[in-house]
Amino acid sequence: MKGLALFAVAFTGALLLYATGDFPDWGSLDSPANGGELSTHYIKEVRKETEVPNIVTAVLADYRGFDTMFETVVVFVAGIAIIAVLRDFGNGSRGYPPALANNLPEEPDLIVTQTCNLVIPVLQIFALYVLAHGHHSPGGGFQGGVMLGASYILIALANGVEAAMKILSERKILLMAATGILIYSGTGLVCLLLGENFLDYHVLSRILPTDPIMARSHAMLFVETGVAFTVTAVMFSIYANLATRGTLKGGL
Amino acid sequence: MFVLMLPVMYRVVLGPTALDRIVAINMIGTKTAVLLVVIGQFFDQAGMFVDFALAYALLNFVGSLAAARYFKRTRPIHHDLNPDSQPEPGAPAI
Amino acid sequence: MFEITISIISGALICGGLVFFLGAAVGLVRFPDFYTRMHSAGKGDTLSTIMILLGIALYQFHDLFREAHSLEEFFEHFKIELLVAIKVTAISVLIMLTSPTSTHALMEAGYDDGMEPFTCEDEDADENQNGKESAGQ
Repeated sequence: MKGLALFAVAFTGALLLYATGDFPDWGSLDSPANGGELSTHYIKEVRKETEVPNIVTAVLADYRGFDTMFETVVVFVAGIAIIAVLRDFGNGSRGYPPALANNLPEEPDLIVTQTCNLVIPVLQIFALYVLAHGHHSPGGGFQGGVMLGASYILIALANGVEAAMKILSERKILLMAATGILIYSGTGLVCLLLGENFLDYHVLSRILPTDPIMARSHAMLFVETGVAFTVTAVMFSIYANLATRGTLKGGL
Repeated sequence: MFVLMLPVMYRVVLGPTALDRIVAINMIGTKTAVLLVVIGQFFDQAGMFVDFALAYALLNFVGSLAAARYFKRTRPIHHDLNPDSQPEPGAPAI
Repeated sequence: MFEITISIISGALICGGLVFFLGAAVGLVRFPDFYTRMHSAGKGDTLSTIMILLGIALYQFHDLFREAHSLEEFFEHFKIELLVAIKVTAISVLIMLTSPTSTHALMEAGYDDGMEPFTCEDEDADENQNGKESAGQ
């Protein structure tokens, strides 16, 4: 059976590798990525239209902002799905074995706890830096959100899931995830109410005291913050549900 | 330095227990962060690549700590290193 | 003169780091037991990383005197290079803090999981076995 699976995988891989022979050469001038009309428009106009040097972030959050909104919704739905499948409100009454096999009390290790106390603030500040600096260097909402979620997971690893749940209870997690999506769609709705298309940021200059170009830049930062909220909450919620088998008490 | 990572990969593939592999992955992760800074210096853009290296070093730490905690939570077995000596007065009686 | 000095010192640091990494990799492959392998991984890895990163941090300053033609340009270049050097030193401090901790956590996990250390009886048994094989041929 494993031989058949290996053959199927190898065959598909060989087909895909054969298909890469049809790609245009690396860096050639007539490939659609280099010479196409849309990409030259982006490369020339992004700095003028949005004042954001990082073209990737500008395309992700502004020109293709509708797509990014639904990516955030997908992340949110994934978190809800894991909660719906795994969450056990009856304290382990589903028949799964409890998280700690012998139900021994967790003794937090001294070295690990103290090191994590030193590392967690650094991690969180760096996550916020990556989020806010998305305009100038690689970063943005998703990367900053992942690192912020990793910092909460580190709190749970060092001190136990229950200590982390005191900081970020389940109610707060759900609220944070929903707030992220609300920020994103709310911005789009405000643009709609002001008279232009959905997620068309330049009309926000009517309520913000800046010109339309800087309004796009600020709105991009705002929606990236929303994305980071959702990603953080969902990452920590997935970890907490998986590590404690749905009961959110004790264990890893 | 990439060539030197290959013996470590050998230990990842071979290592008799899963914990061996996790130790080797931790080592590869640390060296990857260093490799990122070296590549950044090579392309004269060290300022940008340093951010990547910092992020990767932090996430590598979280990952290997999570793996260690996973192995620790199942059935702690307390075995005797010197079976002849008396147990210490403060040892937990497992 | 300044440039050559900085280049030599940072090159020496990076080469030393590579030598220690070679030692750590060889140790990881050749040691007989899980705990000894962890020794080589934890210590050698951390030391070689710190040396290489400090070498790179020092190398940032190597063309400080070449490009500047005025005092303000000198300070500009110095500020940029100092920033990158501080960031690289911060990474090395972080790795110095966290890598031994994860090694410690993995070793405790191994001990709690019931791994037997490699003691003298095992080594004598190995030698006896090798001796019998070579005597039988």
